[in-house]
Amino acid sequence: MVPATRSRSVHPLSNLIDRLEQGGALLPDSPENVLEVVGILKSYGTVLDAYQRNLTYIAEHQFLVLFPFFKYFNGEVTVQKLLKHWWHDRINYEFAEYCMRGMLWHGAENLDRYLDSDEFCQRAAAAIAAKVRSNPLMRGLNRLSPDFLLEQVRMLVYYSVLGQFWNVMSRLFLVLSDRYDRGEIRAIPEVVQHVLDGLVAAANNPLTYAVELQGQRYEIIPESAGLTFLMDAAVPYVEAVFFRSFPFFGTVSYNAQAHQISPNQADFNYGALFADPLPVGGAGIPPTLLMQDMMHFVPDYLQEIYMRGLRGSDDLRVKICLSFQKSMFCVTTAVIRGLAPYPLSTTDPEQRQVNRIYLEQWMDRLLESRLVTLN
Amino acid sequence: MLSVLIWVPILGAVIIGCLPESMVATRSRQVALAVATGLLGWSLYLSSQFHLSEPGLQFQEGLPWIESLGLTYQLGVDGLSLPLVLINSLLSWLAIYSSDGQIHRPRFYYILLLILNGAVAGAFMSQNLLLFFLFFELELIPLYLVIAIWGGARRGYAAMKFLIYTAVSGVLILATFFGLSLLSGSSTFDYAVLQEHTLPLSTQLVLLITLLIGFGIKIPVVPLHTWLPDAHVEAPTPASVLLAGVLLKLGTYGMLRFGLQLFPEAWRVIAPGLATLAVVSVLYGSFAAIAQTDMKKIVAYSSVGHMGYILLAAAAATPLSLLGAIAQMISHGLISALLFLGVGAVYAKTGTRDINVLRGLLSPERGLPLIGSLMIVGAMASAGIPGMMGFVAEFIVYRSSFEVFPVQTLLSMVGTGLTAVYFLIMINKVFFGRLPDSLANLPRVRWHDRVPAMIVTVLIVFLGLQPSWMTRWSQTTAVALVEDRLNRSTTTFAEVRSVPSDPDWLSLQLTGSESPKRPIH
Repeated sequence: MVPATRSRSVHPLSNLIDRLEQGGALLPDSPENVLEVVGILKSYGTVLDAYQRNLTYIAEHQFLVLFPFFKYFNGEVTVQKLLKHWWHDRINYEFAEYCMRGMLWHGAENLDRYLDSDEFCQRAAAAIAAKVRSNPLMRGLNRLSPDFLLEQVRMLVYYSVLGQFWNVMSRLFLVLSDRYDRGEIRAIPEVVQHVLDGLVAAANNPLTYAVELQGQRYEIIPESAGLTFLMDAAVPYVEAVFFRSFPFFGTVSYNAQAHQISPNQADFNYGALFADPLPVGGAGIPPTLLMQDMMHFVPDYLQEIYMRGLRGSDDLRVKICLSFQKSMFCVTTAVIRGLAPYPLSTTDPEQRQVNRIYLEQWMDRLLESRLVTLN
Repeated sequence: MLSVLIWVPILGAVIIGCLPESMVATRSRQVALAVATGLLGWSLYLSSQFHLSEPGLQFQEGLPWIESLGLTYQLGVDGLSLPLVLINSLLSWLAIYSSDGQIHRPRFYYILLLILNGAVAGAFMSQNLLLFFLFFELELIPLYLVIAIWGGARRGYAAMKFLIYTAVSGVLILATFFGLSLLSGSSTFDYAVLQEHTLPLSTQLVLLITLLIGFGIKIPVVPLHTWLPDAHVEAPTPASVLLAGVLLKLGTYGMLRFGLQLFPEAWRVIAPGLATLAVVSVLYGSFAAIAQTDMKKIVAYSSVGHMGYILLAAAAATPLSLLGAIAQMISHGLISALLFLGVGAVYAKTGTRDINVLRGLLSPERGLPLIGSLMIVGAMASAGIPGMMGFVAEFIVYRSSFEVFPVQTLLSMVGTGLTAVYFLIMINKVFFGRLPDSLANLPRVRWHDRVPAMIVTVLIVFLGLQPSWMTRWSQTTAVALVEDRLNRSTTTFAEVRSVPSDPDWLSLQLTGSESPKRPIH
């Protein structure tokens, strides 16, 4: 018999479990946090929009281009753009690729199953054949290593999937900012609800991917594959980018030699929720490229708050990283709520018990995250 | 021309003293900075007018003062004093510029800094022993007050210790000067006159040892050094910069100017002992630095070690070693200034200098990355990494001293390795790793905090790559100092002749520039 009264969890993060059960979020609710989260999500939404456009461009227009020198140019190659690219005062699309590779590496259950299926191999083979038809070099390469181009197509699928996911999310965050400006968003739970509503609305959107080669359309992921936004893009994304990710390039060798990197991918916790906002020459380097990109789009009201800090504009990226992590804990809250076995507001004791176990599993994973320092 | 460097700062001090109360807070610093800028400009102008091929004193000025006491107002600079005058002007400017804009009692503070500047310049330029002593004593008072008023928690203790040690130093120096004047039967304290007299060796030895103890306290030489770490730890950053960069050089300058030049034969006798004492200073200073946990004490003990190199080169007393001694004075002046500026910035922002507390300060956005980087450059220069002036100076010292004192030189070279050890310990602990959360909200570092260290760093690297700009001022004087000793000595110095002392060789080795036209016979 399950007791009718709600018992307190004995989990080290029991206060967060209580808060979630009472309709709150992982991040404490305060006007400052709301302003910070909405402001940074506005900037993030703008950057994500640029990222998703480029990911989609690469997936569709740089299909099996072996040396994609101009993949970040979105088809518009000019001297001015080239100079800007070299000057690095630009959107760092490399970060989007970094996230894509994180997803590819950690995988997505249904998507990977499809990518290993005969159907995918046949569809990809048709597109590869069309691509190499007029290119003897690639034809030779394909004969020498038949899996190479196939694997490249699998990666391009991830480009497309992440592009589709961010397309939805960027609009979601920009709408959130507009609603905040209109006074419709005043609390962190409302931010979470907005994200949750957006995720639910797009949950069953089909994920598809097609390329056009020599005037003919090749469907790599047809709608019939049954891949959908929430379970095959959003959830794997949260898992791969928010939680696991991988140590940043350049530190891998050093940290691996020091036995600081688990050989087990499932033990990885290098994601956005764990990233140390203070850059150091070791593991846990924050995603500074993203912070650099967001820095250009921080709304004035947030910029003003940042400037009031001790370091003014000197540590803008660190402040952006802290705000970004706060906002990502709101998105995580939305995901936790969205995937809960039962609504967290349920009054049914048995459902509450199941939810409690579910929440404690999430909290186990968040124990080492930055959440504790942000609370 | 030289009097400007003494009286303009005094005049500046008077102007600050006369400022209306309402203007003190804002104008004191501006007046002091303007005066210091003018003095730096004037020093540079004098340098541009300095004849490199002329070994003797230049820009000489002379006025009778209290002739019955043998005190005359005799000024002049040569290749030994000119670089030190320049360093004094530069570091005084940096000290004033880097001073806290919100410092309490600004009027008195800037007055003292300007008096200090004028007194030190006067000491370097004095060509009358009594006049030198007056300026030497005069600089004690402002520095004592700066430490005692604007110093750290134990400032009273440190200032008093500094005062007692350096007062004793002054008494010993004055006693030597009186003894020299008395025993040589001269009624004057003029350097040029006293230089012509030759005393018996035993008399020379007594006077020289007394003088060396006096200057040994100022340098400081182990075991007379204990005042220095305390003074550095308690002194505010600008005072530490001046103390390490300029004031310690009064000791080595006095040792070369008055010890080596006035007592040539006695110097030869005690030179091996001085070289051994140099080794003790170098090794003791280095090992003591390794044992410290206070960043300022590490740099202070580093100074003790590095001043030992000057002593070693002075003991060898060859043209090249004297050039090395002067180069090491300049090099140490700038490098120690950079390190103290860095430590000062770290302390000002974090509130601690404990290397066991500090960590990760190279953190790009929340740490002190530029200050940290400059300190790493300073540590590298101090450890004699090629491409920086520390390397050039130490290389000249070792290259020249090895011919005369091979064992002592080799032992001193261990000190260079130990310098790398203690600075790497400090840098590794303070600047590398993750910035702890307790230090993650440091105040903003402004350009005002960075500029002084950046200027010194540029000079350290530039003079490391183009060392002739450092040595050209002193090359002729170094050769002439040895020539003069040889001419006045009743014995020959085998060790001096054993090294190539042809100025052409010097030029070839050091600069590749045109050599001075004074052959040594």
